[in-house]
Amino acid sequence: MSFKQIVTAAAFILTTSFSAQSNAHHAFGAEFDANAPLVLRGSVTRIEWVNPHAWFHIEVTKDDGTKEQWRIEGGTPNTLLRRGINKNSIAIGTIIVVDGYQAKDRSNSANGRNITLADGKKMFMGSSGTGAPKDGADASDR
Amino acid sequence: MNHARLLIILLLLTACGQREQAAPAKSIPFKPTGDVKHLMQWVLDPAADHLWDSAGSIITAEGTEDLAPTSDEAWLAVQHSAVVVAEAGNLLLMPGVAKDDGAWQDISLGLIEAGLRAKSAAEAHDAEALFDAGGQLYRVCLSCHAIYIKDDERTEPPVTRSDLEESSN
Repeated sequence: MSFKQIVTAAAFILTTSFSAQSNAHHAFGAEFDANAPLVLRGSVTRIEWVNPHAWFHIEVTKDDGTKEQWRIEGGTPNTLLRRGINKNSIAIGTIIVVDGYQAKDRSNSANGRNITLADGKKMFMGSSGTGAPKDGADASDR
Repeated sequence: MNHARLLIILLLLTACGQREQAAPAKSIPFKPTGDVKHLMQWVLDPAADHLWDSAGSIITAEGTEDLAPTSDEAWLAVQHSAVVVAEAGNLLLMPGVAKDDGAWQDISLGLIEAGLRAKSAAEAHDAEALFDAGGQLYRVCLSCHAIYIKDDERTEPPVTRSDLEESSN
């Protein structure tokens, strides 16, 4: 394999591993596990305000002090806007608690349902109509 | 001209008109190259992804990155993808591809509309309009999948965190 091929392969792997963009259109069941609910607490490090889903990246500090990067899928920007969440609503560095469901491949990726801020304010950040579990987070399910 | 002659002429004209209308339309030899999944995978998805990736923002501690194209060439490429999205709607309406003449038709027309809206946005180099068109495109996708893709639906109730805690005790 030539150097150029190696660089190209590395770039492809990096792109497919870390970018939430592209191929981001899917139903809940295609990527996330409804049997793997989780709660994550961390500080927001990156917000991808993109269609078809917004993504919130957070840094989670584990009990042993090590840090993990997680990416949380939210609803479409349009649906978030209708609920009063815009791209500037949650500042970088804000500590949030996310209720969600982990990815089927057990990567540090999750589908977010509710976000809770430090002041206790809770916001539904998910999507409606994607096949996500009817867990009570989405008011339109009721 | 008496009434009988006039009636005969009218009847003959009507008969001729009906024969013209009843003449079978020349069939067009469509030759689909794959099924709807192929159409999604090879035509619609890449074009839709390009539209979605070309609008919006990435916000980090370093600042905000605007994803909108920054050159005429890049905007033209977006316009190209927008036309592909719109034409994918027409492909979905082709005989042999269309699933029905009800919701399928409405959704396909919605896809065409979303694609054309994105095309107009790209022509005008209007990043905000492109972002909105991307949102409209996704709503069309959701509408279609909600009706025609049943595999993604869950049939059993979801497991809750308390269920998991109980089972681990």
